[in-house]
Amino acid sequence: MDGARLNIAQLIGSLVVAAAIVAVVIVAVTAKLGPTSTAELEAREEARDARIDAREERLEQREERREDRTEAP
Amino acid sequence: MEDLIDSLTRGNPTEVKVVLASVVTALAVYQLVLIAVGYGKLRPPFLGARPASLAHRASGDAIVAITVVVAVMCLSYYGFEEGDKALHMVAGTALLVALALKVAVVRRLHGLSRYLPMIGITVFALLVLTWVSSAGQFLADR
Repeated sequence: MDGARLNIAQLIGSLVVAAAIVAVVIVAVTAKLGPTSTAELEAREEARDARIDAREERLEQREERREDRTEAP
Repeated sequence: MEDLIDSLTRGNPTEVKVVLASVVTALAVYQLVLIAVGYGKLRPPFLGARPASLAHRASGDAIVAITVVVAVMCLSYYGFEEGDKALHMVAGTALLVALALKVAVVRRLHGLSRYLPMIGITVFALLVLTWVSSAGQFLADR
């Protein structure tokens, strides 16, 4: 391999190493941060609120049905 | 601007800033290795001085771009806060000044080239200090 090609290969190799460092840091830091980001927490909260709403709605419907049954002759 | 940052980071500006700042700090350590090869202080058989210097310049450009993005996010979202963030604020401001000086010396003020190693080490030290006083603390508290 002549000098210029060797230099280009080494330059590309150095930049690939830099890209690998970037990827490793992103993965490591994201793993450390975990699924507790604001967006994740908001999504969890929304899902919990939706579950609570659905349960309350079911309870109300059950209550209404019970009242209907007692009112009916 | 705050809304733009919020929507770009999907409500996680701090987390995104921590990731970007950590990437920059890791790249800065790699920069030290590259420039040590570039100046002939390290002589690995698989990397010559010229490609190491070129790679140092290329990843340095990336570092400057990411640092500016982080700084803009930081200033527009959090602003200048007093109190326990004073060290971070001072280190971050000094880092931006040192980075601007380094870019100016590399691109225009060639007469000051002999100071580049000193400016580079200053940039590295300020970068580490800025990271430790914010992202490092944030990660340590998790």
